[in-house]
Amino acid sequence: MRPLDWVVLFAALAGIVAYGLWKGRRTRDLDDFLVADRRQPWHRVALSIMATQASAVTFLATPGQAYADGMRFLQVYLGLPVAMVILSATAVPIYRRLKVYTAYEYLEGRFDLKTRTLAALLFLALRGLSTGVSLYAPSLILSVIMGWDIRVVIFIIGGAVMLYASTGGARAVDNTNFLQFLIIMGGMVVAFLTVVRLLPPDVSFLEAAHVAGKLGRLNAVDFSFDIRNQYNFWSGLLGGCFLALAYFGTDQSQVQRYLSGQSVAQSRLGLLFNGLVKVPMQFFILFIGATVFAFYQFTQPPVFFNPVQAERARVGARGAEFRAIESDYAAAFGEKQRAARGYVEALRAGDAAGAEAAAAGLKAAQEKADGVRAGAVEVLKEFDAKPNDTNYVFLSFVTRYMPAGLVGLVLAAVFFASMSSTASEWSALAATTVVDIQRRLLKPDAAERYYFISSKLATAFWGCFAVAFAQYAGQLGSLVEAVNRLGSLFYGTLLGIFLLGFYFKRVKGTAAFLGALAGEAAVLYCFFFTSIAFLWFNVVGAAVVVLAAHALNPLTRAKPKPANS
Amino acid sequence: MTDEKRKHSQGEEPPPFGGSWRTLYAVVLLNLLAFVVLFYLFTRAFR
Repeated sequence: MRPLDWVVLFAALAGIVAYGLWKGRRTRDLDDFLVADRRQPWHRVALSIMATQASAVTFLATPGQAYADGMRFLQVYLGLPVAMVILSATAVPIYRRLKVYTAYEYLEGRFDLKTRTLAALLFLALRGLSTGVSLYAPSLILSVIMGWDIRVVIFIIGGAVMLYASTGGARAVDNTNFLQFLIIMGGMVVAFLTVVRLLPPDVSFLEAAHVAGKLGRLNAVDFSFDIRNQYNFWSGLLGGCFLALAYFGTDQSQVQRYLSGQSVAQSRLGLLFNGLVKVPMQFFILFIGATVFAFYQFTQPPVFFNPVQAERARVGARGAEFRAIESDYAAAFGEKQRAARGYVEALRAGDAAGAEAAAAGLKAAQEKADGVRAGAVEVLKEFDAKPNDTNYVFLSFVTRYMPAGLVGLVLAAVFFASMSSTASEWSALAATTVVDIQRRLLKPDAAERYYFISSKLATAFWGCFAVAFAQYAGQLGSLVEAVNRLGSLFYGTLLGIFLLGFYFKRVKGTAAFLGALAGEAAVLYCFFFTSIAFLWFNVVGAAVVVLAAHALNPLTRAKPKPANS
Repeated sequence: MTDEKRKHSQGEEPPPFGGSWRTLYAVVLLNLLAFVVLFYLFTRAFR
């Protein structure tokens, strides 16, 4: 990083904190703090929703995913627009009519207190743990790329978010999310233009794309069906729809975003805008990764993109072996580059048979290079059981090849992506803690100002918790992975409870509660004893909750209400 | 909360553009369909 990059990065960070403090300065009551006084226009709702969903790992891992595996990951998002339509038509008017602060408040009116409390506690446990991990993961990547101590990065992100989120609440969070998201997308556009500009002058963008496509990196859709594979059209459309229904319809970090809309119409438009642009946006981010892949067909990539691990391997016990592998990789790259240029020339000559032969040679050269790289990964297992550099591909490219100033801009964008999703999570955790636990169960009769102050303190508490958890997350090993998976194990059940509430009016609270337990048992069975892809867990969980609740409902009938009720 | 805000938050007001909510829902779903077709053509073109 050059001095200009540091200036840009710190100016951006200081600027966003100042902007958040300024926007949140008029936060004076609970409505303001928890739902931004329900005065946000649809475009702020929309971008805040998108900024919340897209964490830093999204912007780091997604291009890396396209680099390593192609663009098929895009299909996970195909069900999202359908979910946005369903939620706009059903959930938004219900939440808005009831004027709830949290999604879980709705469950008490519809079912009973125990169902509300179960859902709120599930959210607090899952989101509370995952917010620490979601702070840790990008901090680890940024610390490696920038050469900083990870604790410093965690404190910068956590401290910056705490400053404006705990003072300005949802108003500050929604406004900073809006601005951050614009800067993030600006950074991604600049990165894309840079990688296109850096392609060799004698190779056109289209020709480079053909090289990436021939090596399987432009595989956006696949209509074959396999329940064990989440990266196909059907899994994405159905499983992705259920995942999006669960996330946007029952996760308070998202529900809070559209509860802050000026009206039902503004909240709906916010969700629908997300449904319109999310899929092409993900396509664009994946396409950046595929373009970086094309760039590295003509410029030699490192054998392993995590520079710290690569250096450790170079000076480690098997350092000589690793260095020899690096030399072999350079030779394999030379062969591959020649094959890529041969393929481009055959394309240019319009020689179909020659292009097919050149493509076969290119694929063989790619396999050879992949084989050499696999040897390097084996050496790295000395330090890490599962060496994986996917998340480092994009930032490694940015720091090595982008001009001064733009590196700082892209790094600021990654910081912002982490800050926006973290801020939304803390704000949602605070809302649920105060509204569903403190105000409902512990201290129901306090003045509103008491809950307003409590909400500020709860935001600060969850911020401290996340920072502390993130400090130790690196030592927790597989627990981090477990926490990441935990969400997918419970979303289906949460969704099932809300589906019962929205669409099955005859189902009573106890049947819903027991149905939720049955649904959770079914998801855990799938997780431990089958090879079903995780996207389907949401479908299984929600379906079993609905079916079991219906089966149990006749056995758990509530007492008949008085005739005049 | 003002009366106007309450009215807005309770009402089933039409969208500010597009005519009706059904039209906007159709736009979102047709947009998805169009992108799926484009992605299919894209995948085929660069296979």
